[in-house]
Amino acid sequence: MAENEDLGDAKRRKFLIKATAAVGMAGAVAACLPFIDSMNPSADVLAKATTEVDLSGIPVGGVHTVAWQGKPIFIFHRTPEEIKAMEATNGVIDPEPDHMRVKQAEWLVVIGICTHMGCVPNKDAAGWLCPCHGSEYDDSGRVVRGPAPKNLYLPPYKFVAADKIIIGVA
Amino acid sequence: MKNRVIDWIDQRFPLSSFVKHDLTEYPTPRNLSYWWNFGFLAGFLLVLQVATGVFLAMHYKADAGLSFDSIQHIMRDVNYGWLLRFMHATGASAFFLVIYIHMARTLYYGSYRAPRELMWWTGQGLLIMLMATAFMGYLLPWGQMSYWGATVITNLFKVTPYFGEQIVTWLRGDYTVSDATLTRFFALHFLLPFLIIGGVVVHLVALHTVKSSNPSGIDLAAKDNIPFHPYFTSKDLFGLGIFLIVFSIFVFFFPNMLMDPANFIPANPMQTPAEIVPEWYFLPFYAILRSVPNMVGGVVAMGLSVMMFAFMPLLDRSRIPGGASNRPMVKLGFYLFLLNMLVLGYVGAHPVTAQTLLIGHIATIFYFGSFFLIPFISKAEERWLIKRGLPPALTALMEKEAMEKSKKQAHRRSGDNK
Amino acid sequence: MKKSIVLLILCCASAQAWAAEAALQNIKVDTDLPAIERGLDDVMNNCHTCHTLKYITYLDLVKLGVDKKKVDAMRGDQPLDASLVSLMPDAAAEQTFGKVPPDLSLMTHAREGGASYVYSYLLGYYNTPDGVTHNRIFPATHMPDPLGMSTATDPAQQAQIRKTAHDVVSFLAWAADPHKQERHRLGYYVIGYLVFLTLLLYIVKKQVWSRLK
Repeated sequence: MAENEDLGDAKRRKFLIKATAAVGMAGAVAACLPFIDSMNPSADVLAKATTEVDLSGIPVGGVHTVAWQGKPIFIFHRTPEEIKAMEATNGVIDPEPDHMRVKQAEWLVVIGICTHMGCVPNKDAAGWLCPCHGSEYDDSGRVVRGPAPKNLYLPPYKFVAADKIIIGVA
Repeated sequence: MKNRVIDWIDQRFPLSSFVKHDLTEYPTPRNLSYWWNFGFLAGFLLVLQVATGVFLAMHYKADAGLSFDSIQHIMRDVNYGWLLRFMHATGASAFFLVIYIHMARTLYYGSYRAPRELMWWTGQGLLIMLMATAFMGYLLPWGQMSYWGATVITNLFKVTPYFGEQIVTWLRGDYTVSDATLTRFFALHFLLPFLIIGGVVVHLVALHTVKSSNPSGIDLAAKDNIPFHPYFTSKDLFGLGIFLIVFSIFVFFFPNMLMDPANFIPANPMQTPAEIVPEWYFLPFYAILRSVPNMVGGVVAMGLSVMMFAFMPLLDRSRIPGGASNRPMVKLGFYLFLLNMLVLGYVGAHPVTAQTLLIGHIATIFYFGSFFLIPFISKAEERWLIKRGLPPALTALMEKEAMEKSKKQAHRRSGDNK
Repeated sequence: MKKSIVLLILCCASAQAWAAEAALQNIKVDTDLPAIERGLDDVMNNCHTCHTLKYITYLDLVKLGVDKKKVDAMRGDQPLDASLVSLMPDAAAEQTFGKVPPDLSLMTHAREGGASYVYSYLLGYYNTPDGVTHNRIFPATHMPDPLGMSTATDPAQQAQIRKTAHDVVSFLAWAADPHKQERHRLGYYVIGYLVFLTLLLYIVKKQVWSRLK
């Protein structure tokens, strides 16, 4: 009889200790979360996650560079000839139709970072030329000559007015 | 699988034997009271302060023009930054409270007596490092109280003979407390806790050599020890739970209680606040500093007041073993000393008036008097207690200790080297 | 012996509180959004011309729950993450008042007595027979009477000014500690959890020690 009681006690004790350990561990893990979360971007950094751009100041044929999340964004106001030329081809190295890369054909909005090693390309007559290793992009930001492997990336953006976009939200 | 890994390690590193010898099976007196929980709590707070401190340092800017703003950035924009900051600030106060209670336990129970003198002295070293860390940490928010508190205290080094002014300038890196002071205080505030960790290791090695004292003040027989795990692991964790509840009440509901309003104003070198008040844990020593009319005297008195504790093993000359429980005069003196500390704290917190000055003088004299009188009182008490009659166990122990002492003396005098 | 020590500690702790409360009217700030928003409007109308709130941005107001259109109207062409900088440049303020008006972001923390101090200060203006305005809470102030308490004679007017002051202080209290609600909410959960865990730890401790002979 006494032995049975002892076994029951032992079982209960083991359960109690296991339960307490589990509750304690849960709390210890939960206590780590604020520390880890504090390393995430702070509120002021997140505020810079979107950038509003007024397009009215950019003349036809002109390119404007703005900062978004610390990266350069090329905003290119394309002429009708440039648009037609871009729609006629899909690009050589990383084929992609032009209409997939714009929301409104006259405005090209791309991240101005070369997809090879990360330098910022310069605008030239035919598109962009990267000074670091010679990659060339067309007026749709598509790579026409390497060593860059991919077209210039597209940031999420949307038109909030005819002449205003917000970069950072699709 | 786990056992195979542990075996592999054990062949190369004394992991299991260390854990057994110094943690799980470590012999601890069975009669330890909750006053023995505070060492563990201090260790926990050290880890908490380092953890919160490192994460705060990811956002803090140690530049006179940026530091106040960086702390507002932490409080407002950094995710849970307010929690990190409040835990760190409350943790500092909690650390001192725990350490003071830990010291009080040691004084009351005579745990500083032979063979535990080194424990007491390593503890003294740790206390000084903690005070330095806290002092430098307080400058970092660059508030009015931060700036002027640092100005007053760094000024005190002026009393050094011959090189006083140069030492102050050298400490500050500038003619006043400035950006140079702030950056070096940040560097040292980050460094010192790791030196404290080293000191704690030494403190614990000393502990494991002489083993814990206990409430009776007399070392128990070996059979009266119990393994540290599970008895004191469970007791320490329970004590931690109680502590964390009180700590959390402060962090979440009264975080600003210990923050001086003046420190919410950015430092202004052109204007001193109406009252310069240090944090509560420095108040008694600040009161002693202000009690001596002479600046050199004040600095010496303040320094001595912190160092006086170190002399305890040498001042206590009684042969009555144990702590206050066996020694009614020591017990009374202990409580009066505590009361005096509170009086000194009150004096330190308030501006100097005729009344506070008088109280401060009396309290300072009592403070040092307590220490200086211990050799005489301890001996007188011993004589009185022996005359009154001691419990036979105590008498037997004293006779044994006296015999061992005379044997050692005879051995030394005989010139025998073994 | 121990009781008298506790009493002594309590006396010392409360001595500070006694000294401040003698001259101040004790208030409790409102923490609901309408009150804070009323206070925001009052601050923008009465205080913002001279005082900066550098640690509050327009984005913070949006996050608080103020209507975005209203915030957009307030900020004009300043970006959303701009802070509430005062309209008066420092040099002009120093010339007019002799002192740059202090930043208000932390004002309810930066004075002994906190929100009650700021409230009492705003209502503490009075005129002496020679026509000079003084403040009974902070006699050395350079600031003119912002809410008009020194000239208000009508009890209804005075009641309105007191309400305005209360709203202003409620807003300033939010500005000094925007995470207070979140902190309290988290606090209840954390302490609740700790009480539960400590109870379990107590039972474990008792269980473990009961096996000691």
